[in-house]
Amino acid sequence: MPSTDFAELLEKHPPVEESLIEILHDVQLAHRYLPRPALVAVAAHCAVPLARVMSVATFYKAFSLEPKGEKVLKVCMGTACHVKGASQLLDEAERLLGCKCGETTADGRYTLEEVNCVGACAMAPLVIEDEQYHGKFKPVDMKLLLKAGE
Amino acid sequence: MSEIILNGRKVKVRKGEFLLAVARREGIEIPTLCQHDAVEPAGACRLCLVEVTRPEWEGWSKLVTSCLFPAEDGLIVSTDSAPVHKTRKGILELLMARSPNAVPVRELARQYGIEQCPYPVQHDGDNCILCDICTRVCQNLVTGAISRIDRGVGKRVATPFAEPSTDCVGCLACAKSCPTAAIPYEDEGLRRTIWGKTFEVASCAGCGAPTVTAEQAAWIEQSKGVSREDQLVCDRCKAQKTAAAYQKLAW
Repeated sequence: MPSTDFAELLEKHPPVEESLIEILHDVQLAHRYLPRPALVAVAAHCAVPLARVMSVATFYKAFSLEPKGEKVLKVCMGTACHVKGASQLLDEAERLLGCKCGETTADGRYTLEEVNCVGACAMAPLVIEDEQYHGKFKPVDMKLLLKAGE
Repeated sequence: MSEIILNGRKVKVRKGEFLLAVARREGIEIPTLCQHDAVEPAGACRLCLVEVTRPEWEGWSKLVTSCLFPAEDGLIVSTDSAPVHKTRKGILELLMARSPNAVPVRELARQYGIEQCPYPVQHDGDNCILCDICTRVCQNLVTGAISRIDRGVGKRVATPFAEPSTDCVGCLACAKSCPTAAIPYEDEGLRRTIWGKTFEVASCAGCGAPTVTAEQAAWIEQSKGVSREDQLVCDRCKAQKTAAAYQKLAW
């Protein structure tokens, strides 16, 4: 990834430490992860040590140092969802996608993750595909959801 | 000038002072592991907990980290009440489970009467208690080559990508400020290795003793304006030079 790719993105933000998270969000959105050259470029832009960027980039769940799939499928494992059988949803997702929770499918289409609560417990159990919330989810719905995404 | 009641005694405090500083000035001992005079307090180790209350709280009190709690007028502080002692002991038990080989942790655990740690002890556990002194020292006083990586149980101190850092100048400030000697380094003659990076240490122009690394000298020259020549003289030779100068003056 040539560093010129980030130049345009960096220009939108003032070169101060306060821009750090905003820029990382933009990079994550554009590349679905934080490539190493981007982290180096961001550190230089914000005039902070690379170590500072690393601590921020590894602290927040919103950032990833590994490429994420085109879509991120999250299964809520919060208390309400757990009671409503979220683990079966996760099992079904793992079976259909052929990857474990936290991993990305070989074709790079999906990343499967679990979340601990999304604050929509009335809709439990929940599956979130990118920013789309699917409530009262049943294991059979998983196949339909993944098919609709093809 | 404000006033607080510290362990039953009226104590005058300055505006913006923290409780820990006031207590230490008054000769009251509060254990800490993450406090370091070179950097701002961080409240990382939680050992400096004290109990605070006010008359208008009608008997309610709370535990706060004294290193970060401002000494406000009218505050009633107890540094070793039963809740403080109990909570501090609990923290020490957790630290003992994580870093049973760290000397200051063992020493404090002994002081607080911990004979058997109630949690599964990691006998070969890391000495690092994540007090954050090394990262604060490096970021605030040197180049910021190390930082905390990840969060929660996986949190650790490392260089970016756990590789030898281009920012590290090999000054050993992190290792020397570590309260639990958790940062390994090798310092043999004119060779020094830390965080996976090996440095050449320059020898003193006067006596040949090790002084600073080339990277360190360059960084100090650039950021503090101290010339390389001045840095390449060891403390002993500097002292002798100064003494000689004084002697000349005195005669």
